Amino acid sequence: MSEDEFAKKMAEFPDSEVKVLRKGQIAMKVPAEKGHDAARFLKDMGFTHLVAIEYVDWIKDGEFELVYNLFSYEHKMRVFLKVRIPRDKPEYITFMDLWPIAMTHEREAHEMMGIVFKGNPNLTPFILEDWKSIPPMRKDFDARKFVKETYESIPFVEDEP
Amino acid sequence: MVEVKNEEKERIASEDMGVQIENQDGIELRSFGTVKRWATKRSLWMVHYCTGCGGIELAPLMTSRYDMERFGMHPMVTPRQSDLLLITGYVNIKTLKRIIRTYEQMPDPKYVVAFGSCPINGGPYWDSHVTINHLDKYLPVDVYIAGCMPRPQSIVKAFDMLMDMIQSGKADGYLRYKKYYDRYKANQEKLFRKWW
Repeated sequence: MSEDEFAKKMAEFPDSEVKVLRKGQIAMKVPAEKGHDAARFLKDMGFTHLVAIEYVDWIKDGEFELVYNLFSYEHKMRVFLKVRIPRDKPEYITFMDLWPIAMTHEREAHEMMGIVFKGNPNLTPFILEDWKSIPPMRKDFDARKFVKETYESIPFVEDEP
Repeated sequence: MVEVKNEEKERIASEDMGVQIENQDGIELRSFGTVKRWATKRSLWMVHYCTGCGGIELAPLMTSRYDMERFGMHPMVTPRQSDLLLITGYVNIKTLKRIIRTYEQMPDPKYVVAFGSCPINGGPYWDSHVTINHLDKYLPVDVYIAGCMPRPQSIVKAFDMLMDMIQSGKADGYLRYKKYYDRYKANQEKLFRKWW
């Protein structure tokens, strides 16, 4: 099957916006409340591998975008399933029931962007054990200011006061 | 009986390199620091622990091309049997916690060698949100190797330097850690919310 045939099939899903990006890549946008159904719909179509969950901070729109990167070994085809959630209430449902590996990807999105996935039992951070600021991958996080306040403010030990 | 000055006594006692012998004249303090330092510098065992990207430079160093074992050095799996800790690249807060745990388990005398520009001042990660920039705010460092990454030749040169420093008594990082323990701990606790 070609990309256009796939796109036509995906457009049958209610409220979806489908666009062929290039050879082997299709983007599909759905409203947030239909994301889980769309993922199941795509999985039934043969997109059985959840490669990654990407997260984009659209700070001017006040929204986070979650991009579920799906791959089909059967058709050698990639689909980006995109949903948008409000920035001031970053909550979404987990996709662990479809792909157990979603737990790891959701952990990362929670650590770096502060998105809470309901139903995911393990959202402990990988690296940022002692994090005290807003999540570091958000657009309004000022890395330079944070480094100045956190690391550069610490005095050298052996300079006599 | 050889007259031993007070500062000398303190230094020898603090370096744990003297013996006290009691005879009828009183207490005699004999130092065999030179011999001990010579033995120490020729049998450095390093903790087999790598952070960041410098670990890749250790492979040619350990194997036949640069053959670290001719200096009496070889990797050791446990910190409690090691003398040398290599910090081979950038350090983030989570890693720093493990490094401090490792360092504090090592017996005296112990030495720290920091690889590359990242432990010196952050290097390319100078404005990263998670890498600590200056390692010597949290741990005493004996020898720095500049470069990103340093070649095995410069690492061998650094080991050579460290051996000279041990022989002359200048490699005193572990003594500084004891002396400024409160300040090091205060700096570490500024970063850590909880220890484990």
